[in-house]
Amino acid sequence: MRTARTLRIVALLLLCGGPLFAAEIVVWHAYRAEEKAALEKVAAAFNASPAAKGNKVTTLAVPYDAFADKISAAVPRGKGPDIFIYAQDRLGGWIEAGNTVEPIDFFLDKETRARYIPTTLEAMTYRGTTYGLPLNFKVITMIYNKKLVTTPPKTSTELVATAKKLTNKAAGKFGLAYSFADFYYHAALLNGFGGRVFDPGVKPVLNNPQNVQSLEYMLKWFKKDQIMPAEPSTALITSLFNGGKAAIVFSGPWFLGEIAKGVDYALAPLPTIVEAGGKPMRPWITVEGVYVAAPSKNKDAAYEFAKYLTDVAAGKVLALEGRQTPANKTVYSDPKVSGDPVLAAFRKQVEVAVPMPNVPEMTMVWSPATTAMNTITKGAATPKAAMDAAQKEVEQRIAELRKK
Amino acid sequence: MKSAPSHRLRFGIGLALALALGIGLDVLLLAGARAADARVRAERQAIVTLNALTDVVVGAGISGDPVRTAVAAWSKSHPSLAAIRVIAFDGISLEASTDPKDSGDRAAPRRLSREEKDAYDRGQRLRASVETNRQEGAARKEEIEVAAADGGALDLAAPLEKDGEVAGMLEIRTATPPPPAPIPVSTALLYFFAPLAVYAAAALLLGERRAPLAVAASLLLALVLFLFARQTLRILDADRVETDRQVAARVGQETGLAGGLVAPGAAAVDPAKWDTDVFRHPRPGAAATPPGGAERRGRNVFFGVAIGAFALLAFFGLGLAARLGATLSRHRVAYLYIVPAMLAMIVLVFFPFLYGVAISFTQQTIYNTGQPLSHLWVGLQNYGHILGDFAVAKRAPDGSLAFNYLNFYWTLLFTIVWTVSNVTIGVTVGLLLALILNTAGLKLRPIYRVLLILPWAMPNYITALIWKGMFHRQFGVINQVIQIFGGQPISWFDKPFTSFLTALSTNGWLSFPFMMVISLGALQSIPGEIYEAARVEGASRWQQFRAITLPSLKPSLIPAIIISVVWTFNMFNIIFLVTGGEPGGSTEILITQAYKFAFERYRYGYAAAYSVIIFLILLAYGTVQNRVTRATEGL
Repeated sequence: MRTARTLRIVALLLLCGGPLFAAEIVVWHAYRAEEKAALEKVAAAFNASPAAKGNKVTTLAVPYDAFADKISAAVPRGKGPDIFIYAQDRLGGWIEAGNTVEPIDFFLDKETRARYIPTTLEAMTYRGTTYGLPLNFKVITMIYNKKLVTTPPKTSTELVATAKKLTNKAAGKFGLAYSFADFYYHAALLNGFGGRVFDPGVKPVLNNPQNVQSLEYMLKWFKKDQIMPAEPSTALITSLFNGGKAAIVFSGPWFLGEIAKGVDYALAPLPTIVEAGGKPMRPWITVEGVYVAAPSKNKDAAYEFAKYLTDVAAGKVLALEGRQTPANKTVYSDPKVSGDPVLAAFRKQVEVAVPMPNVPEMTMVWSPATTAMNTITKGAATPKAAMDAAQKEVEQRIAELRKK
Repeated sequence: MKSAPSHRLRFGIGLALALALGIGLDVLLLAGARAADARVRAERQAIVTLNALTDVVVGAGISGDPVRTAVAAWSKSHPSLAAIRVIAFDGISLEASTDPKDSGDRAAPRRLSREEKDAYDRGQRLRASVETNRQEGAARKEEIEVAAADGGALDLAAPLEKDGEVAGMLEIRTATPPPPAPIPVSTALLYFFAPLAVYAAAALLLGERRAPLAVAASLLLALVLFLFARQTLRILDADRVETDRQVAARVGQETGLAGGLVAPGAAAVDPAKWDTDVFRHPRPGAAATPPGGAERRGRNVFFGVAIGAFALLAFFGLGLAARLGATLSRHRVAYLYIVPAMLAMIVLVFFPFLYGVAISFTQQTIYNTGQPLSHLWVGLQNYGHILGDFAVAKRAPDGSLAFNYLNFYWTLLFTIVWTVSNVTIGVTVGLLLALILNTAGLKLRPIYRVLLILPWAMPNYITALIWKGMFHRQFGVINQVIQIFGGQPISWFDKPFTSFLTALSTNGWLSFPFMMVISLGALQSIPGEIYEAARVEGASRWQQFRAITLPSLKPSLIPAIIISVVWTFNMFNIIFLVTGGEPGGSTEILITQAYKFAFERYRYGYAAAYSVIIFLILLAYGTVQNRVTRATEGL
């Protein structure tokens, strides 16, 4: 009698205690709505699959505004998650701060490396070491109103011609509307002309001749061809496009959610630049990566989940239900994914795109670059003068930071 | 009935406590310094061995059998090295190891196992550090990693270079070092009891006279502390000389051994490059090191301890301790009530504030948050940079003045102008509206009051963004209205002055309700009979206002103005959200400038100094204003 009762108690304890021996992997992300639902579906699928090996994944949605600062504050002190998902722009800063992101070169084998779009993996690499697995990418492309534009322009000359026909400044109608004063959007032209922000060794080269050339070209669209509105804020561009007053917009997947229901839109690759010798416009890729936290106690289990999350099965769910564009090449061989016009368009655009620098010095570039863009678009300075000033400012900031 | 205070007893207690503090701290500092010196000695010798072995392994080709032979030979001639491991990045393999755990089927060469990921990551870190230092041309990252292992041994790791690239890593573990020198307890006790005995004798001789007792106690304390400090510094100097001697001996020893192991065709070893710091820069030789630096630091430390000891002596000897004790015991209950609130304030207010002040004396940036503050100490350098930079304006080639917007004084001037204009507008408009609302018999007064308080009730974040939108050049309401009246649309954020006006109007709109409410409350408390009497006397409205209204408003308005000045001085939201400092940083106030230094330029020490200066400015202002107007007299 006593033995049976003891056995029952022990069995009960084991049942409850079983999950205690398995690891719990905590994942932080900043997704909402469909992306969040898709991620949770993938996590549930992982927990049920044999790859989990008894470990359990729990996801936690953290508001986007506070996300990066929370990671900087919590993770190095061991109070953060095992995995967090974020873009690559803060990666350099976190690596330099230390004890935040775990390098995963040791786990990463050649075949896993080969399944990602190469530029997305580059975005996860800092000084030769890989720190995360690329989950999805965001890149700007051409979004146009099908009622106003029947065939999307393929070259810059076609673009100017089409846009001029559709521009009527007095009526507030513009052929092309994009945040041309925002350095992030201008990077498409900048990289297209062969310019760049940093030279290897993280030396800023903001005022190099190709950068200046790209700015002069943007001014041509603005001042000479007059196909773009002044002071283009995102709110303005959205309202113009939704009101049928902007025919072509250069923007990314975040714009699609803002488009009103009545607007019939389509996507196409950014045009090539005839004046640069037919080279394509190369926008910056923002890659969201899955990082393993350095103080995590379950690094192997966490890496297994990261690998699963960036694999084909999860990629399909995230693409079709979460409306993300996965960084895993093999996802696009699925007919449902390649048949979706939006996903296919971004996949095509990323072929010519360049990863945005992930070095911590990049944060010091935004403010001087924005000032330069503002002075240039308002005509207060020539592109060369403005970029010279920005270059000096960035050099000074980096020197202050590196001074020992 | 209290008895007369016993000066002998007070100075006796004071002297005893001061000696305990002084000698105690000095002994601890001596032990700490000797332990640190011992660590440095062990580390320098280990680095010499590490660098010598690095040369040998690089000469043997980093991977393959020659490396294993070289490592085995080195291990035999260095029984004190507990383990030597060579890792090659190509193939993530362990090339050679003398660690007893790496034997049998775990013997080198083999691929690193999962538990050894840390070693591989360390190697990659070293590779990245070498590359960073090479590209930046500076020594910012450590190229040799030293970590403490169990029992006081050291784990060292150095990069192995082949063909100009870092291709592997060498790790060594030294043996447990000899135990540290014991704390000189008996000497300390002697230094403690001897002066007390002398003081006791002096006390008996001198009686209850305060001044001679004070002199005697101070002299004894000074003498003892001086003697102890001198002896301590002598011991530490001897330690340093011994360290240099031992390191030189080690270099000589390794030269002989390494020379024998290097293959004839490989590059010769270079002993001059072995005594390095963690950035692999050669340390200056013993003769080149000026002894002054360490000695001066030691003297400063002892001075600090002496000051503390003297303060303690004064505190007890002059009766202040007795008085404090009496106060605490008399108002026991009151102090107990305050304790919980004090604890909360200490944790939430005082500690973060003091930590910020501490950071302001360092050069902490995003790159060195991991290091303890004492390593980054620069004293008043940040303050010097901020307050000593007088380059406010330059003459541009075409003769006009170009202001340096990053300059502290320009920003201060702008902030003062911003504050004064805002508070003026707020007070004027608020007072005016309050006077209007206060007219007797006004219909619908409650509705007006609610409407006029709305600007204050809405979150100012939202208000700022709405106003920013209203000033948009093409689609903003303000420019549309200007165009309706036939004017030219203004690009508000293009020039510093118009940009300032946008922020001014936003903040003016936000700040008048506060002043209005304060003034309304104060106005309603003025009895109407006074105005009656004044009207009967024949005073005009303006005279009534100046003689009756304003003075009655003073006790409420002055604190409100002080608060408003402090708030407006630090009005981060409006400046950041409406102008963002445009154009080109010309409309930054001190607090937004500090924010940008901290979170865009990542210079935490500099930004902390900036905020401390802002605090001091406002503190000075508040104190002066308070004293001048004696407004809080009633409180």
